[in-house]
Amino acid sequence: MKDSSDAELVVQAKLGDRKAFAELVRRYQGAAYAVARACTGRHEDAEDAVQDAFVVALEKLDECRCPGKFAGWLLAIARNTARNAVRREKLRAAEPIPLDAPSTSRGPAAEAELAALRRDLEEALAELPEIQREIVLLHDLQGWKHGEISERLDIPSGTVRSHLHFARKALREKLSGWKGHEQAV
Amino acid sequence: MNKPFDREERTMDREECRPNLCVLDPGRGDPAYWERLRAAVMAGAAFELARRRELARTSVVAVLSSWSRKLIPATLVAAAAAALLVFAETPSDETASPPLALEDVLEGASGDGFSWTADNAASSAVAFMTFVERHGR
Repeated sequence: MKDSSDAELVVQAKLGDRKAFAELVRRYQGAAYAVARACTGRHEDAEDAVQDAFVVALEKLDECRCPGKFAGWLLAIARNTARNAVRREKLRAAEPIPLDAPSTSRGPAAEAELAALRRDLEEALAELPEIQREIVLLHDLQGWKHGEISERLDIPSGTVRSHLHFARKALREKLSGWKGHEQAV
Repeated sequence: MNKPFDREERTMDREECRPNLCVLDPGRGDPAYWERLRAAVMAGAAFELARRRELARTSVVAVLSSWSRKLIPATLVAAAAAALLVFAETPSDETASPPLALEDVLEGASGDGFSWTADNAASSAVAFMTFVERHGR
């Protein structure tokens, strides 16, 4: 399944193949999460949106006219689902999946610092336009290339680079108080 | 040390620090997170997957049953008709007409006084067709 193309997996998933659909989820749950998080700004809402988006995508799989472009099609669904969740202030019905389970490798100080950094990052991201949040999360969190983002979000590559540049610039300004923020590793 | 920017990258023709967003990754420090999320998605999709499997199965059965209802009787009728034709009376040699070749027609025409000239093209054509009609039977 891991070697199969998106198009092949979509065809199999249309027939109810569980493994094929699971592979599609494995490939794109991170990207869907990034897009949903860019819309909602909250982990819990993004998580709900991802689950809903995959189920909606499966229900509407026959409407996916270009199975090879499943990723872009799915992300559009994830974006709409997240926006609807924000609009309706949908309450969480499912039990939350524990985020960042306690790790024995980090001490309390490191945990506190991590939580503070996460909070500041979320605040900085919240001030960005949604499209910039989406692109910077897909690029810098999910590791997607400019070309992949351009193709899957149907945005010109130059526009992707421009959004990424301004998003990073804004984040750098907002997070300038953090130690070592300009250091390169 | 958690750093919000962790390495440089060239974007928009200038050096930029890449924001270290991995602290927003729910799978950070919890490798099983994405597996649990996938399991949750699959649980939510179980009904639709089952519906699709059932639909695909019934589609195949429906096609086969429709074939058995229509195609198989039609095939039986066609086979019976073919058998009747095979065992029906075959035509005798006397009644069968030999095939007429173009060479035969032209050869017979030359011996029968039939001729083709550019001057009597229209009447020659009529004469030729009449000849074919007469000798072809």
